[in-house]
Amino acid sequence: MILRAIFCSIHIRQTASIELMAEIILIAEDQQHIRNLIEYKLKNLGYEIVSVENGLEALETARKLKPKLILLDIMMPLMTGFEVLVELKKDDSTKSIPVLLVTAQSKENEVLKGLELGAEDYITKPFSPNELAARVKKVLARTAG
Amino acid sequence: MGTQVLLLFALTLVVTFLVIVTSIILVIHKVVNARLLRERKKVYSRYASTMAELLLVDLPDMPRNAKPSALFKEYEKLIAPIKRELASLTPPIRRMHREALRMVMIDFARDITGESGQRLVYFFYSLEFVEEQIHLMSDRRWWIRAQSARDIGLLKAKKGIAVLTGALEDGHPDVRRQAMESLVVLVGVESLRSIFRISKNISQWMAIELSNLVTRYKDDAIPYLVEGLSSDDKSIVTFCIEMLAEIGFTSAIEPLHRVAELHPIVEVKAKAIEALGRLNDERAEELLITLTRSPFRQIRLSAIEAIGRLGSRAAVRPLIQRMDEGSFQEKLCAARALANCGEEGMQTLTAQSRKSSPLNKSIVEQVMEEKSRTVELRR
Repeated sequence: MILRAIFCSIHIRQTASIELMAEIILIAEDQQHIRNLIEYKLKNLGYEIVSVENGLEALETARKLKPKLILLDIMMPLMTGFEVLVELKKDDSTKSIPVLLVTAQSKENEVLKGLELGAEDYITKPFSPNELAARVKKVLARTAG
Repeated sequence: MGTQVLLLFALTLVVTFLVIVTSIILVIHKVVNARLLRERKKVYSRYASTMAELLLVDLPDMPRNAKPSALFKEYEKLIAPIKRELASLTPPIRRMHREALRMVMIDFARDITGESGQRLVYFFYSLEFVEEQIHLMSDRRWWIRAQSARDIGLLKAKKGIAVLTGALEDGHPDVRRQAMESLVVLVGVESLRSIFRISKNISQWMAIELSNLVTRYKDDAIPYLVEGLSSDDKSIVTFCIEMLAEIGFTSAIEPLHRVAELHPIVEVKAKAIEALGRLNDERAEELLITLTRSPFRQIRLSAIEAIGRLGSRAAVRPLIQRMDEGSFQEKLCAARALANCGEEGMQTLTAQSRKSSPLNKSIVEQVMEEKSRTVELRR
């Protein structure tokens, strides 16, 4: 009886962790305040968040965790968002992960370049947190469908 | 000898002692600074996380017709714990915390909009940061004033409009530029009225900023540009003329006509004439022809060039006159303008090459060659 309970509990924990893993969103943003803001907003919507502060970490984490979505800032230390995007799209295990670019306002070229490199969508700073959440949901729905 | 050695020894001892003490002081200073930096980072990090939560936390449901004061009450409840915490700190630590909090809030102000942005503006006022920034606008250091002018815009503090308007007359160009940018953020295109009314001797850099702004608003900026034509400042009038010509609206013809006709400064008049030519509107034709006989060389040259752009047939006769009577540059400009006046202009030029002075002949030849090269290139 006791053993069964233990097994059940292990099974539940494993299922839960697989489910959580399935809903992981990776935030790659070097500015702490923005990272906190996005984290808080998306956590409240029920997503599991993993955040990193440079491009290299973003690439490593994406390869390791295979998140459902990556929110990628363009201007980041060690590796820019574009470089990360190129690497992600080269790798078979990560190329299907949708990427939402976070870019500074009025940088049309950046947006175009990002979309050409395979980003799913983009959001420009300054943004409304609600708009960001809506875009995240839209991208996830689109890729799930 | 013995005394000298003793003295030397003593001196060495003193110097060594001083070097050791200085090194220790430097090390302590570095350690203290590093600690302070770490502490500041920690405080910044804490406030960044708290502020993110405060900006996003759900507010209790409110009726649709609820007054703004009811919303502000809710905002105040959110910020109250931070205010209490700040009040409980000792003055130097409070100063450090306030600075970190201000930095966090300014960083957020750059990156967020929407309802969270409104909350942020309320928090700025409530924490008295707006008052602080307005006060800093009278600091004697220009970089502090410039930074404050920028921050007032970022904080979207409408209370700062008056002080920013005053800063358009600041002695330092960077302060003026930041004030202008913040005014645009706070007031929008209408800020152009104050900017054109108050600004003096605008720098090239400021002119670039202003032109970006005008291009952004286009049609809506026209009335302010026309108003700017009556400014006492030459740089403002010249800028407005340039922009009116750039935007290319025919509503600008009449005001530019007035400047070309009546402005007391020759250089400004010439700019207006040039703009009239760029706008390519035949309403300016008569005035431009008259101005080819202006007593001022610069005006005559601008008028001839403008006519060349219009390509008006009525201008053929006055242009021949300029070819006959004008200086070398006028002759060349007039010949080029004639080449643009259609068939009639070209015939006149050909006739000129037969009967004119050797100088005019060579000018005509040069222009004909230029023209044929342009035609070839177009082909």
